[in-house]
Amino acid sequence: MSRSVKKGPHVDAKLMKKVVRAQKTGARAAIRTWARSSMMMPEMVGLTLAIHDGRRFVSVLVTENMVGHRLGEFAPTRLFRGHSSKSDRTG
Amino acid sequence: MALIAGVNVPDNRRLEVALTAIHGVGPKVSKQLINRIGLDHNPRVRELNEEDLARIRSAIDRSGVLIEGDLRRETQMNIRRLVDIQAYRGLRHRRGLPVRGQRTRTNSRTKRGRRATVAGKKRTAKH
Repeated sequence: MSRSVKKGPHVDAKLMKKVVRAQKTGARAAIRTWARSSMMMPEMVGLTLAIHDGRRFVSVLVTENMVGHRLGEFAPTRLFRGHSSKSDRTG
Repeated sequence: MALIAGVNVPDNRRLEVALTAIHGVGPKVSKQLINRIGLDHNPRVRELNEEDLARIRSAIDRSGVLIEGDLRRETQMNIRRLVDIQAYRGLRHRRGLPVRGQRTRTNSRTKRGRRATVAGKKRTAKH
């Protein structure tokens, strides 16, 4: 089920506060955040967010067509390096 | 064979069904189109005259429904956007895996294609 329009997009309030401040001061430093479920807002375009993936922060430069997606979509939580080959296992 | 919307050529089927051969026209849109121009749903396409066909074509044009090449392009653009912004869904598209969180331990054969046997799997003892 999709989110009620009445509620508006979900954004972490503290993150939004930092975003607004960064916009005003023109600060370029990446904003660290754990709010993976927050929506990318138009205000974030041009900023660099450091999104937590459970281990480290993934830097993402927000572009216009990312708006409307959630932060977590850009910081994968799993690392798949492929299955081990047969020689790896028997060796 | 009747030519509607570029290359589409359905013929010995009822009009309502025949139109669904067009990419982007399903049962619903097909019915809407026919209702809008006040044709009967039932006659086979070969029983229609040129005039009816012309009305169907113009109805499709006027309806603003994306069809065939335009629709495919739109879909491709949407996928390309997801890939370009490096979103999770884009990564899944690139790898040819299911995009909406389905399991991949088994199933999802439509997306992943035919089974590729992985050699060297230990056989379990039969009970």
